[in-house]
Amino acid sequence: MQLNKKKSVDEIVQSWKNDPDMKQNILHIETLEAKPAQYAPFPEQLHPSIKKALIDRGIGQLYTHQRQAYDYATSGQSFTAVTPTASGKSLCYHLPVLQQILQDPSSRAIYLFPTKALAQDQKTDLNNLIESMEEEIFSYTYDGDTAPAIRQKIRKAGHIVMTNPDMLHSGILPHHTKWVSLFENLKYIVIDELHTYKGVFGSHVAHVIRRLKRICQFYGSDPIFICTSATILNPKELAEKLTNTSHQLIADSGAPVGKKTFLFYNPPIVHPTFGVRRSSVLEVRDLTTKLHEAGIQTIVFAKSRVRVEMLVTYLKELTKKKIQDESIRGYRGGYLPSERRSIEKGLRDGTIQVVVSTNALELGVDIGQLQACVMTGYPGNIASAWQQAGRAGRRQDSALIIYVAGATALDQYVVNHPKYMLGSSPEEALINPENILILMEHLKCASFELPFSMTDTYGEFEVQELLAFLEEEGVLLKTSSNWHWMSDRFPAHEISLRSAAQENVVIIDWSIPGSTKVIGEMDTYSAMTLLHEEAIYLHQGVQYQVEKLDWEEKKAFVREVDVDYFTDANLAVELKVLSEDKTKSYQSAILGYGDVSLLAIPTIFKKIRFNTHENIGSGKIHIPPLEMHTNSTWLSFEMPENWSEDMLTDALTGAAYAIGSFVPLYIHCDRKDLSVVPQVKSIHNEKPTLFIYDSYPGGIGLSEKVYDILDSILEEAIQHVDTCPCENGCPSCIGAQDSLQNNKDKVIKILSLLLNEMK
Amino acid sequence: MSYENKIMQLKKMLGSKKEKVKEEPAFKKPPKPFYIKDWENFGLSVVENDFGVVFKRVVTYQLNYKHGFYELGEFFHSIEKWENSKLEHPFSLSFDEEILFFDTETTGLKGVGTQIFLIGLLEARDDCFTLTQYVLADPSNEAALLFESRFWEKPKTIVTYNGKSFDWPQLESRWTLHRKHLPKLKTHKQVDLLHSSKRIWKNNLEKLKLTIVEEEKLGFKRQGDIPGFLAPIIYADAVKSGHIETLMKVLYHNEWDLLSLITLYIHSTNILVDSIIDEAATTITNVGKWYGDLKHTSESEQFLRTVTENFDEQEASLAYFFLAIEQKRKGEFEESVSSFKKSLTNLSLKKQLKAYEQIAIVYEHQFKKFDIALEYALQGIQLIEKATCIDPTQKMKLIERWEKRIQRLENKNIS
Repeated sequence: MQLNKKKSVDEIVQSWKNDPDMKQNILHIETLEAKPAQYAPFPEQLHPSIKKALIDRGIGQLYTHQRQAYDYATSGQSFTAVTPTASGKSLCYHLPVLQQILQDPSSRAIYLFPTKALAQDQKTDLNNLIESMEEEIFSYTYDGDTAPAIRQKIRKAGHIVMTNPDMLHSGILPHHTKWVSLFENLKYIVIDELHTYKGVFGSHVAHVIRRLKRICQFYGSDPIFICTSATILNPKELAEKLTNTSHQLIADSGAPVGKKTFLFYNPPIVHPTFGVRRSSVLEVRDLTTKLHEAGIQTIVFAKSRVRVEMLVTYLKELTKKKIQDESIRGYRGGYLPSERRSIEKGLRDGTIQVVVSTNALELGVDIGQLQACVMTGYPGNIASAWQQAGRAGRRQDSALIIYVAGATALDQYVVNHPKYMLGSSPEEALINPENILILMEHLKCASFELPFSMTDTYGEFEVQELLAFLEEEGVLLKTSSNWHWMSDRFPAHEISLRSAAQENVVIIDWSIPGSTKVIGEMDTYSAMTLLHEEAIYLHQGVQYQVEKLDWEEKKAFVREVDVDYFTDANLAVELKVLSEDKTKSYQSAILGYGDVSLLAIPTIFKKIRFNTHENIGSGKIHIPPLEMHTNSTWLSFEMPENWSEDMLTDALTGAAYAIGSFVPLYIHCDRKDLSVVPQVKSIHNEKPTLFIYDSYPGGIGLSEKVYDILDSILEEAIQHVDTCPCENGCPSCIGAQDSLQNNKDKVIKILSLLLNEMK
Repeated sequence: MSYENKIMQLKKMLGSKKEKVKEEPAFKKPPKPFYIKDWENFGLSVVENDFGVVFKRVVTYQLNYKHGFYELGEFFHSIEKWENSKLEHPFSLSFDEEILFFDTETTGLKGVGTQIFLIGLLEARDDCFTLTQYVLADPSNEAALLFESRFWEKPKTIVTYNGKSFDWPQLESRWTLHRKHLPKLKTHKQVDLLHSSKRIWKNNLEKLKLTIVEEEKLGFKRQGDIPGFLAPIIYADAVKSGHIETLMKVLYHNEWDLLSLITLYIHSTNILVDSIIDEAATTITNVGKWYGDLKHTSESEQFLRTVTENFDEQEASLAYFFLAIEQKRKGEFEESVSSFKKSLTNLSLKKQLKAYEQIAIVYEHQFKKFDIALEYALQGIQLIEKATCIDPTQKMKLIERWEKRIQRLENKNIS
């Protein structure tokens, strides 16, 4: 056998085209040709030391988008630049900021990154640039890790303060009197990775920025916003909503793009009756193995942590015989920072050949460019798909992107309609600063930071009534002219920007008594199904069993085990309607939209054997239910004649599955942003009801859109289920079916019934 | 109705954008609160300045006024003692300084939302002491309160309890908010008695809350005091309702705090300047160590010797330890080794190790007695091996380091 048969990307694509086994699974090949760079000269006024530093780095001219950015910024215009991976986006903000500081050393700038890690990366990069400029410009990261000793210095003398929204929210704004020189002289606010500020997190950050602007106004500054974003449908709108400031858009990148080849790969059908295809995870394992053998540095994306760990486990078999081989690694949220740093470094210097990641790597963490990208299933939205694809493609080289479809309806749709992924516009990133729960929390913070007067507004909001409400709640005191904060509480500590279930569960390995250690952490919502007692938790391919879950203290104690199964848990959901904002009545159905309260109750878990994926046991989960308030659209109808409740349950479950799959096609959101849940007897009207709700507390406005277009979604769902080649329903249409009853027909029946009502 | 449901109701009131009028503030004097008369009836006077109104309470004490063990007038003797001692000490005061005892009460613990609602100032005059308390009339009259504190007038010396990290930064923060209208805040010398108390009573008092120091050291026990953490609620209630009864208790609380600052200063000066031995060994040792850190070596030695001469070895352990370090620095090796040996009886593990190490070093490098050095090094390493309170990796490192020393000593011993 021949080892080390290195191949180029183009060679391997050619060989697969000629391989009959491969050929039948590759449904489509699309090549995007390389695009040359477009340049613009340095601006005339550009400070000589900046010019020198750029020339030292081999940059003799700017890309067109960088020049445009400079021109907008220096003319006082806030703007948003859409910048693909590796297009030199950081110069879009470094240049105007550095120029400003050189012209007036009292000037200050804030750089906002969604995570601490990104701020660290950028600091190194910026400091290198400043060093080669040979100028006295101070840039610092300011976050939870900043040593108290240098905090004072950063507040007084830091020209560029790099931080994250959380730190701004609870560490800077509530203490603004310590930052006078920053706020008085703030010229630029840079928001990097704009597209990550969506959903609830984005809505929170929108308020943090409104508070920031309020404080700037108090100190007499009026900073310009510079945002950079990955490709999304609405970058300008998002930036404007986030910052409450009008923006110009820079949509065309002048950076060169290498040739990209997309393969659409569908695993073969192994059980024609049930329409069962070979597992996409196993297919990805085999494809990645081929790429690994060809010496092509590859990144594999999987949707869940569990899948990442399964793939790592499988792929590590490849290097089992080599000692201390670290060339295949997992990478996902929940690893400790030091572990992540070493993986990022390994990718850059080439000691790591394959990395398997969740979407943690979609963010602009600097890992350089890889040659190939394998997507295990559709990542849920087009923006993510392009972000993942963007990870492959060094400037000159040809890049390979393989999309391996899973069994779900959306995955199958995408593999059969390559145009959907390649041709349609990416998703909108929605935020909803009007979310009243979020708004109230930040209004408290804003009141804490500066008193409101009787005529003040807050951002774009009229808030006098809300302030009166806060006075009733006892946290504000009304004097003749102002609303003053009058409480010993510190409101910023009562909100976390990241999620409703704020606290993370810490994962503690107590395998070795006396040297227990923290190996990771997980958000509460995920922990309900992944860290319940007896769950098998996978970390870097090592299996741990959760032995004890201390839900009060948010600690999971795990022990290393070696078993041949993984666990999969279920959540039961109960919905209560709190208020009906909109309703439409049909002959025997009612469509509604409004606020709902949702109760998530973990129920049981199953043990599933590796490779065969058979169910080998189950158990109860003992975790208290989690409550959430959100927005929902719902459709209630009469029980069809001659149907039993059991029949309806099965049919509605299948219908919910089918609808849920197609909602993202219409709403342009991520699959997980919206949930579809059937209730055979809904609490509010005792009728069978389908709820389609925003998966975030307070809601972000997605389900409201569904209210208007539910009929089109139903139509698409019916057509898809009807044309699915399976006989009785499969994961590609109505979800996996346990029994041989003819559920597929029932699902079509119920969907058609609903559609007829709505016509 | 739950909180969430209530605010869900409010959602409907969310209006949309309204054109904002840009107005830059000329200072607008806030109106007076409605409860002025009532508060005056409780003995407060109203001061009106360019920024609004502020309430004021003044109390005068004669020099022979007794607070706990001490008469306030003894404060002047304390200053005299410092002047006579000619010592440079961060804690010393002189007659040239304008001294102001300062304490605030606030509506919270941190952040810009925390306001100062009471500024208490206690000053020495020629023949009496005067307490002046300024009470925030309501939050919109804040600038009036700050202005009246006169911290903008001239540099003074401010004596506080934890004022360096709490009261003063709070005042600075409030000042920043009104910086457009108020005169600039002056920089003042700060003497923080919490810092000195920490130095003096480390390992002697478990908690350094002022009320505990009062009871344990100053002979003062408060009757009917309100706990400080209630102050924010009491103030909020007073300005909402206009009723001042309970708030008066906060004023008394603040008054006691300030009186205790004077007697605490007197008491601490006695300990620092006169070496009295009726204090515990740990206290005198602490003072000796403090002088040592300030490079006043003869004072340091004097205090440490007071301990070694008046207490048994058990109690004097730490004093011997510090003395030994000083002696070694001066090249008095015999004395140093002897002190280190005596110190071993009752030291923390870390210091005990250091003592063994130092003894071993002196025997090895000064006396060239490698066998004795080895003996002490071995005792040291045994101590490490037995220790349960060191973390394992740290332990490995320590053992490695000591083994090197032992190896070297064994080699020297043989040759």
